[in-house]
Amino acid sequence: MTAVLELQGLTRSYGSLTAVDHVDLVVREGERHALIGPNGAGKSTLFATVAGTLRATSGRVLLNGRDVTALPESARARRGLLRTYQHSSLFLGCTVLDNVALAAQRVQRVAHRFDRPARRFRRTQARALEHLESVGLAGRAHDLVSALSHGERRQLEVAMVLAAEPTLVMFDEPTAGMSAAETERFVTLLEGLPRTLTVVIVEHDLDVVFRLADRVTVLHLGSVLASGPPEAIRADEAVQAAYLGAARTEDLFTGGAR
Amino acid sequence: MTMLQTSAPAPTGTVRGPRPARRGAVIATAVGVLLVAAPLVLGAYPVSMMTRMLAFAVLVLSVDLLTGVTGMPTLGQAAYFGVGAYTAALVGVHVTSDGAVQAAAALAAGLVAAAATGWVAVRARGIVFLMLTLAIGESVHQLADTWSAVGGSNGLAGMPPISVFGAALPAAGFVYWWVLAVAALVFAAVALVARSPYGRTLRGIRDNEARMRALGYRPALARFGVYCLAGAVAGVGGALWAAQARFVSPGDLGFEVAALALLSVVIGGSGSLWGPCLGAALVLLVRDSLSAYVGGHGALVLGVVFVAVVFLMPRGLAGLARSRRKEVRS
Repeated sequence: MTAVLELQGLTRSYGSLTAVDHVDLVVREGERHALIGPNGAGKSTLFATVAGTLRATSGRVLLNGRDVTALPESARARRGLLRTYQHSSLFLGCTVLDNVALAAQRVQRVAHRFDRPARRFRRTQARALEHLESVGLAGRAHDLVSALSHGERRQLEVAMVLAAEPTLVMFDEPTAGMSAAETERFVTLLEGLPRTLTVVIVEHDLDVVFRLADRVTVLHLGSVLASGPPEAIRADEAVQAAYLGAARTEDLFTGGAR
Repeated sequence: MTMLQTSAPAPTGTVRGPRPARRGAVIATAVGVLLVAAPLVLGAYPVSMMTRMLAFAVLVLSVDLLTGVTGMPTLGQAAYFGVGAYTAALVGVHVTSDGAVQAAAALAAGLVAAAATGWVAVRARGIVFLMLTLAIGESVHQLADTWSAVGGSNGLAGMPPISVFGAALPAAGFVYWWVLAVAALVFAAVALVARSPYGRTLRGIRDNEARMRALGYRPALARFGVYCLAGAVAGVGGALWAAQARFVSPGDLGFEVAALALLSVVIGGSGSLWGPCLGAALVLLVRDSLSAYVGGHGALVLGVVFVAVVFLMPRGLAGLARSRRKEVRS
């Protein structure tokens, strides 16, 4: 089991505020790795820094053993590192099918072809529809994304990122805003994904976390508080104090925006 | 494979898919027949007017490709339109009167000019991109105005009438048919690009460039590509303009032309292809024909039309048709 993603002393500061503080982390191939922590723990900043949306202040990001710290986001994506966004980031003026096809056609290397209409690229269309079906949106393929509900957009985000055929997906609070049924479908979909795919997931729903994760890392005030198998994390006292249920409630938000 | 293809999009496809498509085809055929038949019933002046509209519509298509499809509002396309017009006129004066050769040369010149200047412009976005394209347009305009080799501010005159495949065109109507044929060809090509995977990529850039990068795209590459493509289209438009006017002056690539082209896209509905073409016809009609009836205040009328369009139909003529279709459906 090799490390798909390795973070070495990864740091990201906004001026004097250090949002991600010397984080060391190893994610192995096929792992379902959950990242939890109270609001403001630096989860989203960590995601953005790993994905390349934000530049690291210091430290290194290794993808499949290769240093990608200097690479821009798009180059990391082409190496198989894909992410979703906490707030859906979609192509609102395009159809649902187009959104997923945009991911599929890049992987199939036809994104710059204009010798025939897109619908005649059967392989791209079929792959896009397949992914839409897997999240239950096949019936809405030809609607505009702007007509979708919040939960449907979250599902579409999942379909889009999977259509890009990643080796490592980072989900940023994927179930936020999904209905119970949609969450269930998402968890089932994730459970059914092949183990060649590695998943890092930020999630507030602890039921989802403990159902999916092989390993859980707890982030607190920008640094790793604990990392290990779910049972160990559940039992960890420092984690309980910081996140799962503190004796004094004000401790919950010491690192938060509130 | 074919089973999957035909059955999967069925829920929306069979219920409402074919109907608007069939009606669209009927309208397109009717418009095509009317356009082809126009010289048989209209006099010389309306025909030359329509020829200019078609050439201008090709320029507007190139603006729409950037503004509507890719989300890059531009004021620089008149420059490539002018480069194409001057190239065609120079070829006409010095080399050959063959319209196809002139159009091909103009296409190449527009492409090269866009490639040479575009790599600076496409690095910017939004208002900065708009200002850079304006700067490119004004620079080329200045160049045409002062360079004596192309006639300077006097313009370039003395272009012989074009011939097509070796045959001289005996009347204005034949020039019109030639321009119509080339314009239709360009329209088909642009429509193909807009519907292709590349067109999808461009719409993705328009809607959410950051997300495109997160999916592994290099948006800068696609933006530069479409800029060159639009330059080539505008170049062809210039050749068609020159074929009709047989005279090119710096005024043909000035700020006014660039602004009118952008205005046509807004009036027609950016992103749709036929809407801006209709907008182009409307704008030229107001500027060149209606202007005489309102005491030369054509620009004022266009200004009023612009304000009215922005307030009453923000999606332009194309948006009007779309919302009507929705009402019929529901």
